[in-house]
Amino acid sequence: MFSTIYIEEEVLELERVRNLLDRFAQVPQVICGRYGEVFNRKSQNFRLQKMAPALILAKKYGNKVLAAPSGYGYNESKGYYFSHMLNCVYDCRYCFLQGMYSSANYVLFVNYEDFEEAIAEKIGENNGGGVYYSGYDCDSLALEPVSNFCSHFLSVFKRYPDAELEIRTKSTQVRSLLDTEVVPNCVIAMSFTTQEAAGQWEHKVPSIKKRLEALHKLQLAGWKVAIRFEPLILGAEGLAPYEALFEQIFSKLDAQRLHSVSSGLFRMPVDFHKRIVKLYPDEELFARPTQTTQGMIALKSTEENTHLMAIEELLLNYVSSEQYYRCA
Amino acid sequence: MIESVKNPMPVNIVVAHGLEAKALVKMLELERHHVSSKFVEYSNSNKLHLLVSGIGKEAITAGVTYLSEQQASDSGEIRAWLNIGIAGHRDASLGSAWLGNKITDHSAGTNAYPPQLIEGVEVGSVVTVDEPENSYPLDAAYEMEASAFYAEATKYSTAEMVQVFKVISDNLKNPISEIDIRSVPGLIAAQAPQLLILIERMSAIASQHNFNQRLPSYFFEICSKIHLTVNQKLQLRRLCQRYKALGLEKELGCVAGPKASDARKLIQQLTERIDRIREA
Repeated sequence: MFSTIYIEEEVLELERVRNLLDRFAQVPQVICGRYGEVFNRKSQNFRLQKMAPALILAKKYGNKVLAAPSGYGYNESKGYYFSHMLNCVYDCRYCFLQGMYSSANYVLFVNYEDFEEAIAEKIGENNGGGVYYSGYDCDSLALEPVSNFCSHFLSVFKRYPDAELEIRTKSTQVRSLLDTEVVPNCVIAMSFTTQEAAGQWEHKVPSIKKRLEALHKLQLAGWKVAIRFEPLILGAEGLAPYEALFEQIFSKLDAQRLHSVSSGLFRMPVDFHKRIVKLYPDEELFARPTQTTQGMIALKSTEENTHLMAIEELLLNYVSSEQYYRCA
Repeated sequence: MIESVKNPMPVNIVVAHGLEAKALVKMLELERHHVSSKFVEYSNSNKLHLLVSGIGKEAITAGVTYLSEQQASDSGEIRAWLNIGIAGHRDASLGSAWLGNKITDHSAGTNAYPPQLIEGVEVGSVVTVDEPENSYPLDAAYEMEASAFYAEATKYSTAEMVQVFKVISDNLKNPISEIDIRSVPGLIAAQAPQLLILIERMSAIASQHNFNQRLPSYFFEICSKIHLTVNQKLQLRRLCQRYKALGLEKELGCVAGPKASDARKLIQQLTERIDRIREA
């Protein structure tokens, strides 16, 4: 599962860490000072490291809860995100993380209690409310059997019923959620692209069918479930793949009971794109014409808005406009 | 022992001492170079290269720098770098060996962590010292080149492709002062199974990387025929990559052909054409 486990000396004796190391005793373990000695060093290659990623167990210092980018969320409440982990077990070619870090190793910040304290503080600043996104710099559920992230943070959010937690994921690791009493202020948001896009660019990601099955189970168990259609990448096939995707999803899930549905176009900071192009000069997606607006790069398309509106029109056959939002 | 491998092996092996090279020359079927150089060098027709740098951090830094300068090219290809050598450990048995997953420079107090992509090879810590170590305080292989080798080689290749492999030649029961240096080739030869896995795997990864980064021949053709500024060269490189990624490599020749003499105009034509084709 991991090529190596690096452990910051400072967290070596934590029970959470000892348990993990005992569980993965067969994986080479290396003690380091700070995780930055191993992670994101110059001369590292994300693409190569993706062949055999390592796990780094570290302590997060500094800002643990950050303001979410404007337009990220689904309502007017103030949005924040926190990352107990950096990097993702999946290998989606369109993902901005490839350009954000030069290392594909997973950093797991094990000082959950410090995150908990920072979240509580932020909730206090927002009179008990706010929306808290997890899964911005990682997939929150994909490493659940290793991290036990959910079991810890769900109990935190149970104490603050007016604050919402969104767990963004592509994972089918929902057993821990199904074994837990439903937390009404927690939303499990699953990302989807079309079958064609998934086949071309989403490596190691569970199939759409399996993800839907996981979501279906969650919905039946009473969990709030949301759908994120991101990133929308329009191809020569036009709208047909979206028609098929929507049909597949909404014939399985109860659309009326969905917490929210959103869409977002393929976008990323120009610098990230430049780095990704160096890693994947042979990738068709990055060879397409692009356009840059205010430091963000997107695929160049004269009909982008028309296509987006057509997709939205299709979508609104299944969900209400109150359930839908467009992610900026 | 490696004759079955016919594919290119873009690997540089650097050793400190001729005795460390001896077993490798035989194992990898290398031939000595007869060019005048301050370093002894060997290679084979598969692009596998071996250099004997001399002992210590300064010597190995000079060896790596020299070799990288000799191999510098415009192609963007990388080579894997592997330092193989003997080391001491307090209680590891003579002949045991591992790939360094942590390299400590004792005098500088710094650590480096070569990313580990290769399975099937033993791993462990390595400490680089300025003088031979007799007491081996840490659970690590003590030697005199690894930290400098790693620091220098990562300037010319990606960190994943720079590794050190150490074979234990001395320990507390068999101190360094009593080493029979004639045993060194045998200690290294005994590691042939691990070394061959390592070299072949590093070679395969570097070759795959180079294949992914391969530029259409059109790029080199144009570069040899018309003058391009550094920026124009970068633009042309990316355009060639885009044509290739979109399956339009054949279109490159049709755009302006090698007769094009105005670099700015050529780049403009190539850009307009690919954007037009892709948007259509």
